[in-house]
Amino acid sequence: MTSSALTPAAAAGVTTRGRGWRRYPARTFYTFVSPWILGFLLLTLVPIGFALVVSFTNYDGASSFWRFVGFRNYVELFTSSPSAWQSLLRTLAYTIIVVPLSVAGGLFLAVLVNRRLRARGVVRAIFFIPSVIPIVATAIMWRLIFNRDAGLLNGVLSVFGVRETIWLADPYAFYALIVVTLWGLGGGMVISLAALQDVPTELEEAARLDGASTWQVMRAVVIPMISPVLYFQMITGIIASLQVVVQPLLLAQTRTVASSQEVPTSSTLYMVEVYNEFFFESRFGFGSAMLWVFFIAILAITLILQWLSRRFVFYQVDSDQK
Amino acid sequence: MTQLAERSSSRHPDAAIPLRSKRRNVRPRSDRTAAWVYISIIVSIAIFGVPFLYVLLVALSTPAQLSDGAFALFNLSNLQWSNFYLAFTRIDFIGFARTTLLLSLIFSVLTTASSSLAGFAFARLRAPGQRLLFNIVVATMMIPAIAMLIPTYVIFARLGLVGTYWPWVLWGLAGTPYLIFLFRQFFSTIPLELEEAAIIDGAGWFRIYLQIFLPLARPALLTSFLLSFTWTWGDYLAPALLLNADNTTLSVATAAGYLNPQGTGIVELQAAGAVMFLLPVVVLFLFTQKYFIGSAVGSGVKG
Repeated sequence: MTSSALTPAAAAGVTTRGRGWRRYPARTFYTFVSPWILGFLLLTLVPIGFALVVSFTNYDGASSFWRFVGFRNYVELFTSSPSAWQSLLRTLAYTIIVVPLSVAGGLFLAVLVNRRLRARGVVRAIFFIPSVIPIVATAIMWRLIFNRDAGLLNGVLSVFGVRETIWLADPYAFYALIVVTLWGLGGGMVISLAALQDVPTELEEAARLDGASTWQVMRAVVIPMISPVLYFQMITGIIASLQVVVQPLLLAQTRTVASSQEVPTSSTLYMVEVYNEFFFESRFGFGSAMLWVFFIAILAITLILQWLSRRFVFYQVDSDQK
Repeated sequence: MTQLAERSSSRHPDAAIPLRSKRRNVRPRSDRTAAWVYISIIVSIAIFGVPFLYVLLVALSTPAQLSDGAFALFNLSNLQWSNFYLAFTRIDFIGFARTTLLLSLIFSVLTTASSSLAGFAFARLRAPGQRLLFNIVVATMMIPAIAMLIPTYVIFARLGLVGTYWPWVLWGLAGTPYLIFLFRQFFSTIPLELEEAAIIDGAGWFRIYLQIFLPLARPALLTSFLLSFTWTWGDYLAPALLLNADNTTLSVATAAGYLNPQGTGIVELQAAGAVMFLLPVVVLFLFTQKYFIGSAVGSGVKG
């Protein structure tokens, strides 16, 4: 932000004045960030590299009799692993449904809450709280709603003569998962709300004086103005939904992470499949290969979105923003 | 919220007042929209609030009511407050709560310290390679954390760290990219005169950070602490993988603890346990809302 032009001057002030190690602001900088650098090397780069090495082996997590198998895991993943590909397609479908709905829903709620309302803070809190509470609590609450005998959903539907449905089994588990995810869209609402409040009011008013309707103002003025924020939500939303694993596990009420094979097929997303390979099948090599394909896919998607954003996202030139 | 309103109006000081009065003149047309807004809000409140009410209802009902279906629960004549006591004693709730609290404190204190130190350095100090390092911070915010957890777990298991709190200590010391980013943004806004005076007085950078910047950064520190605390409090995967079943967090214990001998869940106890587990988070949130919201705002606008 603004400091970049100013701080070197301050740093220079020290180089001439300080004694001992203070004479070297570079050294000070590296001392201050060293915990993070060490953490990045040991807790991010090492695990990623480790996974890469393991992906070329037939390691099972326990025995010491493992060897390098070349690209065999990758070949298997790409040629003879239908369940992995199905889970990938399912994950893509989930992402394509959930991300736009979350962003749009969050924006919708933000527009509602952005008005002058009585008890606006309370309303905003009700929308926001689902996104901050523990995921286990969320899962338990929704398992109650979807419960076969005592569930609210079956109870309400029975009034209309719909027969009891087991929502958390195939084929409905996928849709139940989507509903549970969308319940947490309040996080996006807060971000959009902040962006809405930064839209200059004179632009909206000018459009209104020209006779634009609420919807036209929204589409032609507000949404373009806040598009960087919507884009940010899309990127983080895509990365988050591609790696969803806990919700399917908990909605299926698996007792440990290793019982991931109990998750209904329709909600077995890619990362559930990965957990299954690691902790149920003990195929660490194959699982690592799945992880690396996933890392590369995430990287590719981020780069594609970055490229697309240059065409569709409007970045405001502002004095206090880069 | 008021903070935000001030910010946007201060940016356009001359425009704010006359426009607001103009808006008042457009009332008739917006009456119909207002009705729609209220209907939408009420419907949305119902959708977002129903799971909370229902979990309370289930937590207070008898097994007989539960087997009679959803509508039997609305008979409030026989509220089972004892379910909360049962949920409390059926598992070692206090013990798991202590572990959860301890882990959350360890991680949030360490990561706030480490992230603020790094954020300060990125905002206020200069060194070759700094730009590259900051790009790495931003890039690591995009690294899928859940995918990273598996190889990390395998390594920690080999090092014998499973069943200990060391993973949280190490993760805490390493700082959190998102929080480093948050602190950097915050420290960048502090005027230069302050540290200039301190430099002239001969204070070292660490003292400047500790005695001048940290006291000013109370809102950022609180935000960072609250966010990392609630992350750890609610985290499921890391404790599920890295801790043993008898010394784990409430997340894992409530998810798997309330089972009858046949291995199926005792619904009303799960509900009561979930209520007790999420209540601290909700209360904390209600008292500190603006810090949660402030962080979301910072992440979105500058992202």
